[in-house]
Amino acid sequence: MKKLSEMKQGEKGIVSSVNGDARYVGRITSIGITPGCKVSIIKNDKRRPLIVFARDTMIALNEKESSNIEVEEAGA
Amino acid sequence: MTDKNEIVIALLGQPNSGKSTLFNGLTGLRQHVGNWPGKTVEKKEGSFTHGDKKYLVADLPGTYSLSANSDEEIITRDYIASGKADVVCILADSSQLERSLYMLSDFAGIEVPCFLLLNMSDVAKDQGKDINAKEMEDKLGIPVVLFSAPEVKKYDSFYTALEQAVDGKTVLDTSSLEKKFRDIPEYSEIRNTIGDYKDGNRTGMWLAVKALEGDEPVTAKIKAELGNEKASELSSVLSKCDKGIVKAGECKFAWIDELTADSVRKEKKDAGLGKFDRLITHRIWGKPVVVLTILLGLLASFIPALPLMGVGSAIASATAPLNDALLGIGCPSFIAALLCDVFLRCFSFVIQMLGFVFGVTLVFGLLEEIGVMARISYVFDNSMGKLGLQGKSVMPFLISFGCTMGGAAGTRVIDSWGQKVLTIALSWAIPCGAAWAVVPMLSTLFFGAWTPVIITVILIVMILHMWLTAKLFGRSLVKPSERCGMIMELPPYHKPKWGSLFRFVFGRTKDTFFRSFKVVLIVAVVFWLLSFTSTGTAGDSILFKVGHVIEPVTMVFGMKWQTFVAFIASSLGKEGALGVLSTIFSGTGSITIGSMQSADKAANLNELLLANITKPEALAFIFAITFNMPCIVALAATYQETHSAKWTAIIGSYYTATALVLAGIAYHIGMLIW
Repeated sequence: MKKLSEMKQGEKGIVSSVNGDARYVGRITSIGITPGCKVSIIKNDKRRPLIVFARDTMIALNEKESSNIEVEEAGA
Repeated sequence: MTDKNEIVIALLGQPNSGKSTLFNGLTGLRQHVGNWPGKTVEKKEGSFTHGDKKYLVADLPGTYSLSANSDEEIITRDYIASGKADVVCILADSSQLERSLYMLSDFAGIEVPCFLLLNMSDVAKDQGKDINAKEMEDKLGIPVVLFSAPEVKKYDSFYTALEQAVDGKTVLDTSSLEKKFRDIPEYSEIRNTIGDYKDGNRTGMWLAVKALEGDEPVTAKIKAELGNEKASELSSVLSKCDKGIVKAGECKFAWIDELTADSVRKEKKDAGLGKFDRLITHRIWGKPVVVLTILLGLLASFIPALPLMGVGSAIASATAPLNDALLGIGCPSFIAALLCDVFLRCFSFVIQMLGFVFGVTLVFGLLEEIGVMARISYVFDNSMGKLGLQGKSVMPFLISFGCTMGGAAGTRVIDSWGQKVLTIALSWAIPCGAAWAVVPMLSTLFFGAWTPVIITVILIVMILHMWLTAKLFGRSLVKPSERCGMIMELPPYHKPKWGSLFRFVFGRTKDTFFRSFKVVLIVAVVFWLLSFTSTGTAGDSILFKVGHVIEPVTMVFGMKWQTFVAFIASSLGKEGALGVLSTIFSGTGSITIGSMQSADKAANLNELLLANITKPEALAFIFAITFNMPCIVALAATYQETHSAKWTAIIGSYYTATALVLAGIAYHIGMLIW
């Protein structure tokens, strides 16, 4: 188990849980990041939003808030 | 159905689903833009005729879901609940299909005839995606259309689905979705508690899911309708719910996965960044590339802008001959002056500004449409986040170095109203092209070699000003509780569709013209009346008399009545500040003329200024006009973009006040130096 924000470029996984306040969870759900969703990390630079690919979509996510998302790793 | 017998279609879709493009394609220029009652959200309606039927299209605000987290979402779902729409057209983006079908799953359970439009099917095809719309139709029970909104000639499939939905009253089949919801124990409990209760077109399923998600308005409504006993029962069920929204979301996406599993075939393609994406998201090169892109865009804006600007100045140069001609045929000088000095000059001024707005809207609308704007947002998200803004705000800021009105027009791409207003409020602090035309000249005249220092100080003050303004206004505009880090899709690049883009830009420019012209005209007439004299001597006008009386006060800010009047006039347009000083010191001409153009300066203006203004006063004046409101057209544009007279007035008075304070500080520092 790893936080999404700690994953490196090229890593893949399956979201296991989403935490945070109601507003954040609502918003992240509506963009498709829910438990069970496959994600792959396209880019994770310091002090930049993460870029992940999930549900057929390239998504940019705030780095700090992405620590709310836990991911089960599924190899590179 | 409206009382004019029009069939009402509501367009429902997430931001960037191509909703506006479809709306423009359907209605052309038969559009009406206003406000939703009591809200600052733009309301767009338009009409079209197909066959022998008339249709009214309501372009609902772009939202990611139908929850109650923002004004946009509340407006959207209340509109659908009101039953005003005869049919709802739900848009999804085929190029990001699974994610964008969320809106459909969130809509499920509202019993209004609807159909699904899988937009951007051309992009999906390029991605190697093969979507079987027929199969989806069978599962959903509503018409499903593969569509590409910009291709107006190929709208037949849209009309067919529309008629099918209206005639057959096709309602979305939610049985398989409800089965999934039933697997959540909390959902079943809520569902059983509320029993057969329905709220208009909203079924028990929809209401139960929203209650599970912790939706306050829906929960309150159910409780009020069901009576005390059931209400407390519901409360106790809800208190046990944990992360209802995540559970409901899982079900919705499981349903979407099932829907797309058989109906969508996709060649495995590597999801990665393209060449330009790799450059723009580069850690070091990203920001320079973005700034360069925006600056090039700004330059490109001038290409379509120049012809209009030319027309504007041609009109201005016609005012003097026209004035003479009118006087020649015996027209009273008061009317001739009002017509030529006020009406025609305002018209010319607005047309010139409009050229720039047209260019900016076109170029930056294009960047938005092809998908570059989302990348810009990504690159500047962190820096702008410190001001409570989003990455896209960097673009209006850069444009504002040229023209604040263009910057305001550029904020259209910012999807949160609060951040949009805050961006405009901050962009006012950026000295525009007109300030740059006046300030270095004045500065050189009074301070010679010190000019670079003064320019540097202005830039530093600008940054502090923006920071302070962000602190002051940010608290109420972008509440810390609503400050949300970036969660945004980066859409695949699209080819621009010029037809629909131009329709949009022309519509926008037309709106801007009427709104700005009204504001400019009113302000100019008032100002002109205040400065009008029947004797021809400037000293007899109301403005000058008032200026004289309050001079003891204005001197606190380092301004004698002459510079103070010039400062007030610079609110109309900064180019005019010199013209006004020239008018006052040489005692000829009318101030309104001076304030709208930079020409007609007295030949010995430099000597006049040096003889009449001290160095500290000059410094005060420079700061006063640099940080004054940019011009009345910018004020009008601010009103148009924010849809809020209150905030426009707040920003306007705030800038007048801060300009005076800054002038006062500059004056007193100047007194210490000289």
